[in-house]
Amino acid sequence: MATHEDQVLDCSGMSCPMPILKTKKAIDALAAGQILKMIATDPGSKPDVEAWTRKTGHELVEYQAEGDKHIFYVKRHA
Amino acid sequence: MAEKKNDKLIIMVTHGPEDPERATIPFVMGVAALASDVEVVLGFQVNGVSLVTKGCAEHVFAAGFPPLKELMDTYIEEGGKMFVCGPCVQSRKIDPAADFIDGPTIVNAATFVAECTEATNVLVY
Repeated sequence: MATHEDQVLDCSGMSCPMPILKTKKAIDALAAGQILKMIATDPGSKPDVEAWTRKTGHELVEYQAEGDKHIFYVKRHA
Repeated sequence: MAEKKNDKLIIMVTHGPEDPERATIPFVMGVAALASDVEVVLGFQVNGVSLVTKGCAEHVFAAGFPPLKELMDTYIEEGGKMFVCGPCVQSRKIDPAADFIDGPTIVNAATFVAECTEATNVLVY
């Protein structure tokens, strides 16, 4: 079943560390349980988002790769 | 129950504009740390002290990263602290009042020792 997002953040073209910083700001603005869809083209973004969610307690509910795009669905923790 | 203390990183910066990567990557790490809810202090020593002078960061670019000026502005906006070695500044004839950007604090060795021994980890560039 496709994950439904509450907000989309496009970080295409941005390089480290900006995708992670923008993701944090976007997630902080969501309510607990809401889902952010973040799109990045930085090749290191997959391990970065995995590490960041481990560190911050938010949940990476789904990941997709489409060409050079990495698409993350991150649920804000309580 | 005791409140969980956030992790804290000290990142020592010892290179200035003569080494764009070693000048830039500390700020990359600093911004990433702040985004990860990790407290961070950048400590400037040796040539690193040049980076907090007016007009310096504007000329530093490392391949693969945002410009240093952008990273520095972001780091400061997000609440990152900057401590600068007093003797290193004096020996380079830098006048903090006239030459520093807004944000850095002059400190000496005891402050660096306290910060490093209290931190989760220390990185040196």
